[in-house]
Amino acid sequence: MAHVKVVRRSMRPEEWTRLRFDWLERGLILDREEVTDIEIRDARQITEDTYVYDQEAYRPLKAGDLYFTPDGTAFIRARAKVPERMHGEKIYLYLPTAAEMIVKINGRYVGGIDPNRERILLNPYIDSDELAIEIEAYNRSKPDDERNPLSMAKRGCRQTFEGMAIVTLRENLQSLIYDYILLMDIADCEYFNEDYRKFLHEELSKGLDCIDFDTWEGIDAAKAHVEKVIYANTDFKGTGDVALVGHSHLDIAYYWRRIHAVQKNARTILIQLRLMDQYPEFRYTHTQAYTYETLEKYYPELFEELREKVKSGQFEPVGAMYVEPDCNIPQAESLVRQFLYGQHFFRRAFGMTLDNAWLPDVFGNSWIMPQILKKAKVDYFVSNKMSTWNDTNRFPHNNFRWRGIDGSEVYACVPPTHFITWNMPSQIQENWEAYQDKEKGGQTLSMYGYGDGGSGVTEEMLEMIRRFPKVSIMPKTEVTGGADFLHRNLKDNEKLATWDGELYLEMHRGTFTTKSNIKKANRNLEFRLRETEILYSLAKLGKVTGYPQSDIRDAYKKVLLNQFHDILPGSHIHPVYEDAMRDYGLVGQMLDAMRDALPQGTHYLNTLSGARKLPVFFPGEEGNDVRHGETGSWAQIPAEGLASADCAPVPALPGWFGLTETDAGLTVTTGNYVISLRPDGSFASLYDMELGREWVRPGHGFNRLHLYADNPGVYDAWDILPNYRDVEFTLVPSEPLHLVRADDSIAVLEVTFKTDKSTWTMQLRFFAGRREIEVEHIVDWHEKHRLMKVNFAPDILTREVLCDTSAGFIRRELTKNTTWQQARFEVCHHKWFDLSETGAGLGVINEGKYGLGLEGDEVSLSLLRSTIRPDIESDMGKHDFCYLIVPHAGDAVSSGLNRLALEYNVALVKTDMTFPESLRKATIESGLELQAFKLSEDGEQFVVRLSEQDGRRGKLVFPYPVKLLNLLEDVEGEASEIAFKPFEIVTVGISPEQLK
Amino acid sequence: MQTYIEEKLAPRLQGDGGWVEVAQVDGDTVTCVFRGECSKCNKLERCVAWMESEILRATGRNARIQAIRKKPYFWDVK
Repeated sequence: MAHVKVVRRSMRPEEWTRLRFDWLERGLILDREEVTDIEIRDARQITEDTYVYDQEAYRPLKAGDLYFTPDGTAFIRARAKVPERMHGEKIYLYLPTAAEMIVKINGRYVGGIDPNRERILLNPYIDSDELAIEIEAYNRSKPDDERNPLSMAKRGCRQTFEGMAIVTLRENLQSLIYDYILLMDIADCEYFNEDYRKFLHEELSKGLDCIDFDTWEGIDAAKAHVEKVIYANTDFKGTGDVALVGHSHLDIAYYWRRIHAVQKNARTILIQLRLMDQYPEFRYTHTQAYTYETLEKYYPELFEELREKVKSGQFEPVGAMYVEPDCNIPQAESLVRQFLYGQHFFRRAFGMTLDNAWLPDVFGNSWIMPQILKKAKVDYFVSNKMSTWNDTNRFPHNNFRWRGIDGSEVYACVPPTHFITWNMPSQIQENWEAYQDKEKGGQTLSMYGYGDGGSGVTEEMLEMIRRFPKVSIMPKTEVTGGADFLHRNLKDNEKLATWDGELYLEMHRGTFTTKSNIKKANRNLEFRLRETEILYSLAKLGKVTGYPQSDIRDAYKKVLLNQFHDILPGSHIHPVYEDAMRDYGLVGQMLDAMRDALPQGTHYLNTLSGARKLPVFFPGEEGNDVRHGETGSWAQIPAEGLASADCAPVPALPGWFGLTETDAGLTVTTGNYVISLRPDGSFASLYDMELGREWVRPGHGFNRLHLYADNPGVYDAWDILPNYRDVEFTLVPSEPLHLVRADDSIAVLEVTFKTDKSTWTMQLRFFAGRREIEVEHIVDWHEKHRLMKVNFAPDILTREVLCDTSAGFIRRELTKNTTWQQARFEVCHHKWFDLSETGAGLGVINEGKYGLGLEGDEVSLSLLRSTIRPDIESDMGKHDFCYLIVPHAGDAVSSGLNRLALEYNVALVKTDMTFPESLRKATIESGLELQAFKLSEDGEQFVVRLSEQDGRRGKLVFPYPVKLLNLLEDVEGEASEIAFKPFEIVTVGISPEQLK
Repeated sequence: MQTYIEEKLAPRLQGDGGWVEVAQVDGDTVTCVFRGECSKCNKLERCVAWMESEILRATGRNARIQAIRKKPYFWDVK
């Protein structure tokens, strides 16, 4: 018998209920007084608090008019009068809109309106019937959350003004609507008991039967039915214990510029403050010291109000960092400063030191973090993405302990569900069902509130909370704060499992590479900030000049701001990129000016703990080489650690370089190697004469460029898919490898590739008497959906690659036996990676690349991508970057690869200032790296931060007692001899007198 | 007109995640390619009308913009 598909043409009972439920909204407004005296002025925001106006004056605005322009802010003003007939009623300003609006009436902030809330209760905030309404509105074409149907329905740059009114409501109907929102959600949700849902469908329909939808009679009867029949039914029991924490995630920049985040933040906070007035039980958490700073600066009136709510405990600052930064790419010292400046702000503003890091949206977290958290007085860590975004493996914990690279442990929470929810029963039940630590982790954390200018918690969400206890099938819920949740469930919880390793996100692997210029600038400025602090510390000690504390802090904060997790990773629109590059330029100028203000010297100071070995390139009009587009020459400055030296010529070794052409390409001889090079610049053979071994696996690529199709889908800037190698484009040199120049100290070979759109030149640079080989890439890049990598298949038997984290190294498995190994096909590293077997190995040191492909027994450095969302122009244009190939004896540690990588990234400084001998001696003898040397934030002492990066124990010995500091520069003890552990970061305070 | 679109109007569209490029100018008829968020915007016609009014206001030219949407492949993923 043929299968006959039954097509229902009549309405199912549930559809009849849904239809009438939607009708309820029609009767909500009881009385409406149109506001007709309205004017608008269009503008475009150009800084945090300045605007360019499209018109000289305001123009009239009436219902049906188009308003808002692309990237537009509008200033709307209106005059209205509350009619006498509304006296004694609850009155509201009603204004349905797609935009985000801050509303002032008679000079007072009364609230906010956006797609998630279309009215503001006025009674508590007005004392006159005459209303002077002022609105500042930002229209966003990109909704706060593409899962939010309210926002999606209204998106677009040009909106229709739907009118403005003073209204009163059928308050009993509003209450009934909330009941139905709650119960309909349960009735439609398959996570709940089927029998209960059947019961709900029947009884919800009966409730609506009470209402006459023409006269709106029967609302109270319907309400009584819900109370007496539905809420009274306790036959069905739910399980679970869910902590509800109000929160609004805010991307400081993403599909909007950071200047817009100032208003987004203010609107969000204003709305939460107003909800606190109406719902005394409401508690709300808010992150990022930077957002509080901007509120204090641009909205001082709101900030004072917020301060009172912080005192009362309703408004809870969480997240001890300056912003929510990317936690893969910033160096350890940057992460330290995120906490230092964040915590110091919270101390100044609220007298609080926060004990949690709140990073719901970041794209994975480096293994160096637990130590930094712990030493910044942060015991708790919250980050959502690993639970819901992982594409391969389910992260096995929600409430657990996280053990860091040095063995430090913090309590961690990876909540089971998204950090943006609208507090529906289905979302709470989903959270409980996904929670993996039911038996040992206590409550599960569910954050609720719209984000990104969707302005957090709504009245509806709080009304849901008031009703949850009435529904027996719901999990137990508790309104709490972020810190309270963490303290109650994680603190001293011996049952918690421990995760020892990085918190790798199995997604967004492209963010290690996208927006190459931003990453390069960030790396460069991180080291230049270090240099500036060191120089001014020395200058202050030598009484050469004062210490520009505030200028350095400002410069640092600009870099920290741009480490935000949608800026540094590259996942943003083009204007955000322009802002970031402008900021980097400004910071560079600030640091130049500070450097120029110091006396010029004749010697070169090495600010690193390790002795300098590499040739140094000096740009200048005369020179025998071109590097990074500048003519110049190479010199040798053999400075010992934290010491100075004079400039000397690089060794001249006549006859060191030989070149012969063969059928397969070129054969190069240096004092160290015999190298067979293919016409594409890759190495067919790299024979090491000193070690007597071959480095290239026969028949494989080594330093070989690969151009892949890179089509990750809608998360274009974020993701690289595991199948990215399926489609590769053949790269044929337009100018095969050839000699550019060779003299007694340097030899340069060059190959150029051309595609239809791009030109890619690769130079190989050999140095007389040196083992290191530098590769420079000079690129004019105009591809689309392409990924360029350079592969290394060394003849090394190893199952692991060591990767620099900036504060120690992490061993990553190269085998693909498990899904966990398979998922880590693209990882983040810092300055170097290394493949070694007993006795010898190969390192590659970069100057601003982070993405590393792990492809079985090959590795690949990710060089450039060409994504088109969110930025059409991402990575287009000129690029110039280098890396250093370092074959070595021993392993990465014994060969000193990390110090070589520091040397490659940190410039020498021309100055006659020198390090105090006591500091130099203690540092050099300890073997630690000088991570920072700065004036303390209080200006009372010098802060020296040293980092163990080789994985060994040791002692740091000073000739005087030093203060033992945490990362917030609090004194925690005193000692002259400090034992340190592998990968430990040690911070000490030393008085100016001791350092003299 | 092309310069005005590229220098004044395009940055504003970019601020909303959109993108416009002038493909051709033929008298007062300008063919523009809309990319990014504009490529799938259901209110693009309104934006085009705004651009035409801005061109008229700033340059006195009565431009007529022909809009071509260049929608990337991933918006078609179901």
